[in-house]
Amino acid sequence: MRKEELLQLIRCHARESTITKEELIDAYEQGLKSPAAESQTLIQSRLSAILYFIGGLIVVLGIAILIGQNWNSLNAPSKILSTLGSGIAAFVVGVLFSQNKKFDLIGQAFFFISVLVMPTGLSITFDIAGFDIGSNTLQFLTSIILLATFLGAYSIFKKTVLLIACFIFGTWAFFSLTNLIVGNNPIVRDWKFFDYRVLMTGLTYIFLGYYLSENDTENKETLANWLYGLGIIGFLGAALKLGGWPPHQNPFWELVFPGLVFGTIFLSIYLKNKSFLLFGSLYLMAYIGKISAEYFAHSLGWPLALVIAGLALMATGYFSFYLNKKYISA
Amino acid sequence: MDTKKNIPLIVGLLIPVLMILFVAASIYLPGLFVQPKVSFIFSYGGDYYSRSQYDILNGRITLKSANYPKKESNQWSEPRRESKLYLYDVIRNKSVEISLEEAQKFFLDPSVKSPDGFEITRGEHGFSIFEILTTHGGRWDSSFITGHNVSKRLNLPYKDRYYSRYLDFIGWIIE
Repeated sequence: MRKEELLQLIRCHARESTITKEELIDAYEQGLKSPAAESQTLIQSRLSAILYFIGGLIVVLGIAILIGQNWNSLNAPSKILSTLGSGIAAFVVGVLFSQNKKFDLIGQAFFFISVLVMPTGLSITFDIAGFDIGSNTLQFLTSIILLATFLGAYSIFKKTVLLIACFIFGTWAFFSLTNLIVGNNPIVRDWKFFDYRVLMTGLTYIFLGYYLSENDTENKETLANWLYGLGIIGFLGAALKLGGWPPHQNPFWELVFPGLVFGTIFLSIYLKNKSFLLFGSLYLMAYIGKISAEYFAHSLGWPLALVIAGLALMATGYFSFYLNKKYISA
Repeated sequence: MDTKKNIPLIVGLLIPVLMILFVAASIYLPGLFVQPKVSFIFSYGGDYYSRSQYDILNGRITLKSANYPKKESNQWSEPRRESKLYLYDVIRNKSVEISLEEAQKFFLDPSVKSPDGFEITRGEHGFSIFEILTTHGGRWDSSFITGHNVSKRLNLPYKDRYYSRYLDFIGWIIE
């Protein structure tokens, strides 16, 4: 591409507001750095991030062991202080470190500690206060408090770990709220309520992953891929389970499932994403096995059904490999 | 705010919200249009032997003697618990303890389904992934009146979680 063409293209994008001045300057500055130095910095940054988070995990383990060993000798305020107190302290340290870009990663590691410790802390506090923490009301209350806390923190600091916390606590809030609405109402006995909720959660993850990959540059690569992966596992897993097993199959879901799987595989080409291809292919294999066992094992005989299923699996494997090579890796 | 860019975010957040609204509507809306009308009598609080004492003969409640096994001298046995009779008023959604004599004034239908198409069902023990972390004593002790896609929790008088989980339905009050 010639220089004039490139500038014209930038003008077009600027007119359509699909590119910002900051993104352009950022790209220009990145281009000035040598590729080797850039990759070295990236590796160092990733390594230190991994070490910070492993450190955070060890701190949580240390707190858990310390509290576990002395649980019976701790009085109620000490129990609250050692669990919820630790969580809040880690959160505050995370906030303080996040003020300075130099300590950004350490700040995230402290947020990570608070994400792990605060749910236990809140539950123990409610338990000591005399509430039944297993009840749907308390589950919803705990999850919504955590979601509000970490969503608030994310809106200020925009850290990936806070966004992950929002997804975890948001999912928890969704499940506990629907549990709260339904309670133990016998009307849901035939609803396959849990499966449908997993299906919808999977779909939500896929949409949010797509939003992140298109709009959020900071969390683009890692988080979007994780959301895609989890979303596809949940969505297709629930759809496969809704198909049911003999003698209670659901013809609608059994017929719709291949369409969903092929849709997923072709979506991998559109999004250039391997998660869709990998899990789409794996679920297609699972479906072939399930259908062979359910419908062909008795009519064709189990050995012949196995041969056909094996050939179909090989075809699926080759098909995925071909798609990956031609459309995604390329 | 660029709406087109935010469509996946809006759709992603709308999916769980719509599901919550849909579930709430499916649970609560049918109850606004269809209400059970036939009250019933149940016994409650008895042990294994005393809870099957009541029977219906020609539409009237009768009392059999509880068939307790003979107790060996050194054998521990559960303390005996008396089974009490209650009238459940479905209009007021309330249960009242009644005596056997009072219950015998009613003509009862012991069918599972009431004349208006409702039945008494135990509550579901819905699975929640978070339940592995906790113990739930109180989840099972609820009963519902269900029919015509309506399900209403019965307002029962018991509190004891362990012994008093279920009511023993006796009959629908016909007159």
